[in-house]
Amino acid sequence: MPARPTAPRPQNSRVKARAAQPQPQQQEPSADDPRVMLDRQLGTLYEPIPPYPTRTEREGEFYSLGDGEMFLNLGPHHPATHGVLRLVLKLSGEQVVDVDPVLGYLHRGVEKICENSDYYHVIDQVDPLEYVSSLFQEWPAVLAFEKLMDVQVPRRAEYIRVLSGELLRVASHTLFMGFQALDLGGLTPILYGFIERDEIVEMLAALTGARMLFNYFRIGGVNGDLNHEFMSRLGDWMSRAAKQSQAQSALLNENEIFVRRMRDVGVLDRATALRYGVSGPNLRAAGVPFDVRRAHPYSIYPELDFNVPTRDEGDALARYLLRVDEIRESIKIIDQCLNNMPDGPITAKLPRLLRPRPGRAWAAVEGPRGMQGVYAMSDGTDQPYRFRIHDPSFVNIQTVPAILPGGLLADTMAIVASLDPIMGGIDK
Amino acid sequence: MDRTLKTRLEARLGEHLRVPVYQRQDQTEIRIDPGSVPEVLRIVHDALDLRFEILADLAGVDTGDRMQIVYHLWSPMTTDWLRIIVDGISRDDPRTPSATFLWTGAEWLEREAYDMFGIIFDGNRDLRRIFMPPDYTSFPLRKDFLLPDDAARSTGAGVRHVEQAHTPAIVADNPAAGIRRTPAS
Repeated sequence: MPARPTAPRPQNSRVKARAAQPQPQQQEPSADDPRVMLDRQLGTLYEPIPPYPTRTEREGEFYSLGDGEMFLNLGPHHPATHGVLRLVLKLSGEQVVDVDPVLGYLHRGVEKICENSDYYHVIDQVDPLEYVSSLFQEWPAVLAFEKLMDVQVPRRAEYIRVLSGELLRVASHTLFMGFQALDLGGLTPILYGFIERDEIVEMLAALTGARMLFNYFRIGGVNGDLNHEFMSRLGDWMSRAAKQSQAQSALLNENEIFVRRMRDVGVLDRATALRYGVSGPNLRAAGVPFDVRRAHPYSIYPELDFNVPTRDEGDALARYLLRVDEIRESIKIIDQCLNNMPDGPITAKLPRLLRPRPGRAWAAVEGPRGMQGVYAMSDGTDQPYRFRIHDPSFVNIQTVPAILPGGLLADTMAIVASLDPIMGGIDK
Repeated sequence: MDRTLKTRLEARLGEHLRVPVYQRQDQTEIRIDPGSVPEVLRIVHDALDLRFEILADLAGVDTGDRMQIVYHLWSPMTTDWLRIIVDGISRDDPRTPSATFLWTGAEWLEREAYDMFGIIFDGNRDLRRIFMPPDYTSFPLRKDFLLPDDAARSTGAGVRHVEQAHTPAIVADNPAAGIRRTPAS
């Protein structure tokens, strides 16, 4: 077919007029121009390729592109990264080849601060690390100090600790269910998640006085006794908790899109999970029945009757379903705590100024994300000599470079969300 | 406290122990030299009567005159936590073998210990800073790193081992403003 002759397009008069004007000389901006300097610095700030020579073998390997590969910078300010996590993705087409997580955007040096504050102050310093379920960050700290000082905690205080802890575990897992759906594009479950969580958080606010950063546990006990408002809210919630969580999980468990996007995605197998030191639901979803509440019992957990659910698949769906099962177990524990709650004091008698004898103590509890640990060293003064915080999210997020490669870019967020990281804890 | 764990550990690691096994509450503590780290970790991980499979934690400690690395391990064979203290790491040139050959997850924990204490883990292939920015020069959890108001006077500031390569370039860029990221070339 012969090509149609194209007529010259009529130019309008304004374009003609502009073309007639002499073009101003494009001026090369001076390097000293503050605007240029700022531009360059902002440009390098989040550029995927670091502006310095590679420091390690692995960094060099990662930041060299193969044929047809590209970098994609995800975060640190991204609504789906659960905080300020930055992932540098190496992509080949739509497939993820490698990942380099970059941490530290939320680093505040809490360990150093704790080493410079006295034993009572440490509890409120560690609170904001695990900002979704902050009691689980206080718990190992007070446990470690109690071990340092050989403090006997009253039984009622132990029951209250377990009761409030399990409530918070339910709140955290419900919120996780919502966020998991949100990261896949479903907007409804997050609303239900927040409704459920809000009830628990309001309940705990009646008990502790704060909604998020409770600062409730004390060395040797808890800060306040159960009160009427807490108990009435709790009774109200307990009467429909099981049913409500069933309804919320039915919204997702039977959603075909949700299930098909989660199944066989981000598989973390048993051996890898153990090699990486993963803990909590992520480890149990890979088939290892390791739960600190059973593996190394603390508080009153040996007396309580509950199961440690496990799953074998190790994929994102298994991690999600495992948390649904854990909510049921937690409700069982809350029920037992309420039935067996003893009378008595809620805190041990301790001096105003604590000076434990020199020694070392390690304490770990099972938080909603895994093993929360604290290693405390005393040198006989009123400040801990060394205060080390072990955060499960830090270890869990480390598996991302192991489980993402081979997957699709669109699944990245689903996988990261299914590990349930909390950036406050990761960055300390 | 698991008394039998003590005898099992003594039988398996006799010559590696620097001091007798110490037990308190639910923790069993052993002290070893940096040189015997790979061997001891291998034994406690693999021996059928020990089986410490889960690395619960890895912490650095600055005692003021030397560095320590503290491992906490969990095993299904005992009710105790095992604490392995790697003692006697020199403060001027802190070096210790890496545990990544056994637990890949030790990689980031070691990066953290490097970032905070400057301890070099031989065998860790990704030993760079993890929390602090790459152009940072101090090791904040060292005991001679003082709080911000007098941090500049601290001798803990300005020590840098593996990241020495690019220091001069960054410092030369903007000596007046202190340390700043190099603009892209």
